[in-house]
Amino acid sequence: MHEIRFHGRGGQGTVVASVILAKAFFSAGHYVQTFPVFGLERRGAPVEAYLRLDKKKILVRSNVYTPDHVVVQDIKLLDNLDVTQGLKLGGSILINSRDVPDNLDTFSGFQLHFVDAVKIASDNDLGTRTNPIVNTAMIGAFARVMDMPPMETIHTAILEEIPVKANNNFQAAQQAYEEVHTFGLVD
Amino acid sequence: MKKVLEGSHAVSEAVRLARVQVMSAYPITPQTHIVEALSEYCSNGAMNARFLCVESEHSAMAAVIGAASGGVRTFTATSSQGLALMHELLHWASAARLPIVMAEVNRALAPGWNIWMDQTDSLAQRDTGWIQLYCEDGQEVFDTTLQAFRLAEKVSLPVMVVLDAFFLSHTFEPVDVPDQDIVDGFLPPFLPRFELNTDNPFAIGQMAAPTIYMEMRHSIQKAMERVPGELDQVEQEFAATFNRRYGPMEAIHCDDAEVIMVVTGTAASTCRKVISDLRAINEQVGMLKLRMFRPFPTDLIRQVLGSAHKIAVIDRNFSFGVSGIFAQEVRAALCNYKGHPSVFGYIAGLGGRDVTPETLEEIYWKTKSTDKPDAESIWIGLNPYSSFQSRSNS
Amino acid sequence: MERMKKQNGTEDIPLFISRSNITTEINKTGSWRFARPKYDEKTSPCSAACPAGEDIARIQMLANQESFKEAVHTILIENPFPAVCGRVCFHPCETACNRTGFDEPIAIRCLERFLGDFAIQESMKLPPEKLPENGKSVCIVGAGPAGLAAGYFLTRLGYSCHIFEASSEPGGILRWGIPEYRLPVKILAREIERIKDFGVKINCNVPMSQNFLKETKSRYDAFFIACGYSRSMQMNIPGDQAASDGLEFLRHMRREEITPLTGTAAVVGGGNTAVDIARSLVRLGLNPIIVYRRRKQDMPAFKHEVEMARKEGVKILELFAPIQIEKTGGACFLTLQQMKISGAETSGGRAVVVPDGRVTQLRRVDHVFTAIGAEPTEPWQFPPEQGPETLHLGHCTFAHRDRPLMFGGDLTNPIKSVTDAIASGKQAAMALDAFFKKGWDANADRLAPYRVGSGPALSMESYLKGEHTSRNRHIVSYEEINTDYFSTAARVLSASLAVDESVHSFLETEETYTFDQAVEETYRCFKCGICDSCNNCRIFCPEVAVVFKDSRRVIDLNYCKGCGICVVECPRNAMALEMEI
Repeated sequence: MHEIRFHGRGGQGTVVASVILAKAFFSAGHYVQTFPVFGLERRGAPVEAYLRLDKKKILVRSNVYTPDHVVVQDIKLLDNLDVTQGLKLGGSILINSRDVPDNLDTFSGFQLHFVDAVKIASDNDLGTRTNPIVNTAMIGAFARVMDMPPMETIHTAILEEIPVKANNNFQAAQQAYEEVHTFGLVD
Repeated sequence: MKKVLEGSHAVSEAVRLARVQVMSAYPITPQTHIVEALSEYCSNGAMNARFLCVESEHSAMAAVIGAASGGVRTFTATSSQGLALMHELLHWASAARLPIVMAEVNRALAPGWNIWMDQTDSLAQRDTGWIQLYCEDGQEVFDTTLQAFRLAEKVSLPVMVVLDAFFLSHTFEPVDVPDQDIVDGFLPPFLPRFELNTDNPFAIGQMAAPTIYMEMRHSIQKAMERVPGELDQVEQEFAATFNRRYGPMEAIHCDDAEVIMVVTGTAASTCRKVISDLRAINEQVGMLKLRMFRPFPTDLIRQVLGSAHKIAVIDRNFSFGVSGIFAQEVRAALCNYKGHPSVFGYIAGLGGRDVTPETLEEIYWKTKSTDKPDAESIWIGLNPYSSFQSRSNS
Repeated sequence: MERMKKQNGTEDIPLFISRSNITTEINKTGSWRFARPKYDEKTSPCSAACPAGEDIARIQMLANQESFKEAVHTILIENPFPAVCGRVCFHPCETACNRTGFDEPIAIRCLERFLGDFAIQESMKLPPEKLPENGKSVCIVGAGPAGLAAGYFLTRLGYSCHIFEASSEPGGILRWGIPEYRLPVKILAREIERIKDFGVKINCNVPMSQNFLKETKSRYDAFFIACGYSRSMQMNIPGDQAASDGLEFLRHMRREEITPLTGTAAVVGGGNTAVDIARSLVRLGLNPIIVYRRRKQDMPAFKHEVEMARKEGVKILELFAPIQIEKTGGACFLTLQQMKISGAETSGGRAVVVPDGRVTQLRRVDHVFTAIGAEPTEPWQFPPEQGPETLHLGHCTFAHRDRPLMFGGDLTNPIKSVTDAIASGKQAAMALDAFFKKGWDANADRLAPYRVGSGPALSMESYLKGEHTSRNRHIVSYEEINTDYFSTAARVLSASLAVDESVHSFLETEETYTFDQAVEETYRCFKCGICDSCNNCRIFCPEVAVVFKDSRRVIDLNYCKGCGICVVECPRNAMALEMEI
C-alpha cells in the first residue's frame, strides 16, 4: 500500500488534486481512499489531504502518519511545517519550487523532486500571477515521480473534476510531467 | 458502475435513485455536501422532487413530517447541533409512524466548537423511536440508505442512517452506483398505509388520553420488534439484486475469540485490519461490528458475546455520569445472561481524535492483559490537562 | 415511468397512532363554543359629544380611505353646514376624543372644514334621500342656523317649509354676527344655497310679528320660532348711550359699511361677540381692551378665540365692571368698579362676583362697545316656561297649542353655539314628525332610540333608517382601545397667517387642510367603535372562521370556537363577545 500526504493551502485545490489522483489511480486498477483533514476552512490556511493506494480493499480509515510520499504545493509551508514528519526513509518528496530548495539537509534520507508549477500554471493561463492554480501541474509531476498512473487516466479525471479550462489543466499536468526535476536521494 | 465517490455523495446518489419526492434540510458541516448535491439534483432536473428550504433543522423535520403525512417519500439530513435542535420533532415523526429517512453525520456537540467525528449526537437520540443504522464505508452508506427507505416503509418507522464525519462523509473511495432501473426493481414506490388527503380529511397527532396513550407506545415497540426480521427480508431482496448484505451486526472470528472487540462506524473497518494482523500472530481475537443500534439486537448480541471471555467495547461517545453508550447497551443485553463475559468499556476518538490501528491494538493488549476492567470506562490516549495549559485549543 | 406498486407484506404490523377515524370535515370547531363574537359597532365619544351627532369615526374612516364624497354625505345627513362648523364650531368632539389619552386629540374640526370646502369645490348637493312629501307645511321664523337646519331636516322628512327672515339675507348670526376672518360670507352663501336647492323656501325682508303669525296660522300645520337674540342688552348705567351696540357694529362690518375709526376702544363683555368685536377693531387699526367683570377663565368666549385675540394685541381687563361713562369731547371716560369673587356657580364653576367696596378705576378711551349679551326683541318670542302640553326637549321647547308651536335656537339652547342651533333644528324636525305620526303623548319617548350615545344629540341617519339599525349607544372609552396597534403621532397643524399679517386684513387666519394633511390626520384617528376593515379579526382567527360574504366580514359559526381573539385584537372595539350559555 502507498500512502501519500499532500500539503497545501486552503484555496489551492489541494483536496481536488488528491481526488483527481484517486480517480486516476482507481481507473488504472487500484483501490483508493482519499480524504482531507479539515481544520480551519479558510483561504490560505495550511491543509492536508491523504491518499491511499492498494491492490486490495483498503480497510484502515485513520489519518496517514507515515506516508511513502509527500507532495508540497507551496514551498513557503516549509518555513513553519515539518513536511517530512513521518515520511518513510527513502520515501519521495515532491516540492513546487523553481530551483533546488535551500536547506537540503531537511530532506536527508529522502528522494527529492521539484517542479516549477507556478511557471507552468502561468504558461497555461491558470489562475493569476499572484494566485496561480498549481494543483494540476503537481498532479502531472507526481505521476512522473511515481511512474503512475497513466496520463490518460489523469486526463479523464481532470475532465470529470475540473470542467472549466480542462485542457489547460491537462496541458499543465503534461508539461509538469515533462519538466519535473529529480534531485535524487539527499545525503 | 463503480466510481470514486465522496461518502456524502454516496448518500445523495442513493436518495436520488430512491426517487425521494420531498426533501428539506438546513445546512451544517459536515452534512452540507449531501444536501448541496440533492439541491442541485432538484434544480437540474436529475430528481423530480421538491427541496424545501427552511430556517432551521426543527423546521426541516417539521416539513418532512408534513410531507410524509401526505404519503410521499421523504428525506432529510443533519448533524450534531442540528440533530439536537430537531429532537422534539424526532418524537413526532416516529410516533406518527412516518417512514422518514435521515442521514445523520456523526459530529461532536459544542462547546467547545468542534465539527469532527463523535457519536454522542445520534446516540443521544436513542429514545426517540427512530431506527438507527451505523455505516462503515462509502458502499455501506449507499446501500444502507437505499435499504432504509424499504425498511422504514415496511415497518412505518423513521430510519437514521449514521455516518462518521470526514472519515466517511468527506472520504472519496470506490462505490458501486447501480442504474435507476435496477434500484427501481429493489425499491418500489412508497405505498403509504395512511395519507392525509384533502378529499377526505382527518387529523393526526391529536390528543391521546391516558386511556389510550400507553397502547400507542406499545404499538411502536411492536413495530420495533419486527425490525430485525424485516431488515433481514430487505437484505435478502437487496442481496438478490446487488449481491451484498450487512446484517444488523457482523461477527468476525468470534467463535474462538478470547477477546471480542465491539466496534461501530469507520472504526470497524480499521478493526478488520487489526484483527487480521493479530490473528496472523496467533492472537485469539474477534470483532463484532454493530450496524443496527435501534432496535438493539439483544438476542444476537447474547448469541455472539454470551459465551465469550472478554468484551472490549470501543465508544466514540460518552454518556456523562455513566459510561460509553454502546458499552452500556452491551452490558444491559448481557446482564441477565448466565456467566456473561467481562465487558471492558473504552472511550476513544472523541471530537475527531483519530482511532488508528495502534489505538485498537492498544485496547486489545490492555484487555488481554487485565482480568477484570478496573473502571467502568477506560479513556484511551488521554493527556494530562496540564499539557494544554500553555497551548491553544487547536 | 409508472412503476408497479408492491405491497410491503407488513400490513399486520400494528399502526396504532393518534388519528381521527372519521373525516375532520364533520369536526366543526364551532361545537366547542361557549361564547360568540359579533360585529358590534359602538358609539365614538366624539359623536356623542357632537351636538349635531355627526358620525365622526365613520367620517374619519371614509376620509382616510380618500372616499371624500361619502365622508361629506355622512356629515350632511346630520349637519348641512360642514364648511361653517369646520370654521366656527367650538368642537366639543375634540375635548371628548379618546386620542387625548394617548397623545393629542384628533383635529376633527380641521377635517370637517376640509370636507366642507371639498363639497363646495365639487359643487356637491345635499344627499337626496327624502321621505315622500306628506302634504304638511311648516312655517319657520328666522333664517339663522336653527331655522335653516329645521327647514333642511323637515324637508328631508317630507314637509314643505317656508322660512321668514326679517333681514335682507339669510344666515342670522352666521351672516351678521361673525366677522369675515372667521367665516367668509361666500362660504356661508354656498352652504345656504345648497339648502335652497334642496327645496327650502326662504323669504327675506319679512319683519316678524305676532300679527303675522296669527294671519298665517291657517296656512301652516306647525310653526318653528328660531329668531334668536337680536337685541343687545343694555348696561343701564349713567351715560350708556355713549356706548355703541357691539352686535350692530358687527352687522355694519358684515355690510362693509364701517366708518373709519381710530384710537383706543373698550369692549365690555366676555363672550364670543366681545372677542369678535375686539379682533375686528384690531384689524381696523384700533387698540381694544376687553373689560370683563369676572376672571379671564370665566369668559364664555371660546378659549381658542380668546387666545388668538391676545396674540393679536387685544388686552383683557378682568374683574372690572363699568358703572359710568362720561363723554367729553371725542373721548369717553369709563369708570370701572373693581369686582371680587364671592363664590362659584354650581354648574360650570364660573366665579360669582360682587363689587369690591369702593375701588374704582377711570379709563379714557375713544370708543366703548357693549357685548354683554342679547335677548329676543319681542315678548312673543319667549318660549313658554310651563303650561299644559309644553315639553322641554333639550334643544327645543315644544308647545302644543291649537297648532304645534316649537321654539328653538338661542331661544331655548342652554349652550348658544352654531352647532347647538343646528341640533335644535334637527330636534324640532324629528319631534314634529313624531308628533304628526304618533301624536303628542308619544313624543318624548319616540326620539330616544335615535340618540347618539348617551347625549342629547340625535341621529337623522338612524331616524330615517328606523330604530333597528341604530348603533350600539355604548360610548367607547380609551381603555377599550387596543393601543398596541397605534403609534404616537403629532397632530397635523393647518397653515395659518402670521399674527403681524393677520391683524392687517380680514382674510381668514387659518387655512383649510390640504388633501395630504387631511388624510394624514385621519391616520391618527382610532375610529372608536367602527369597523374600518383592518382585517385583524380575520388575520388572527385561528380557525379561519372570519369569512367574506357579499364583501362583508361574517363569522362562520360552524368553525368559530369562541376563543375571542378577534374581539381582543380588534383595535377599536367594533366587536363584542357574548356568552351563549
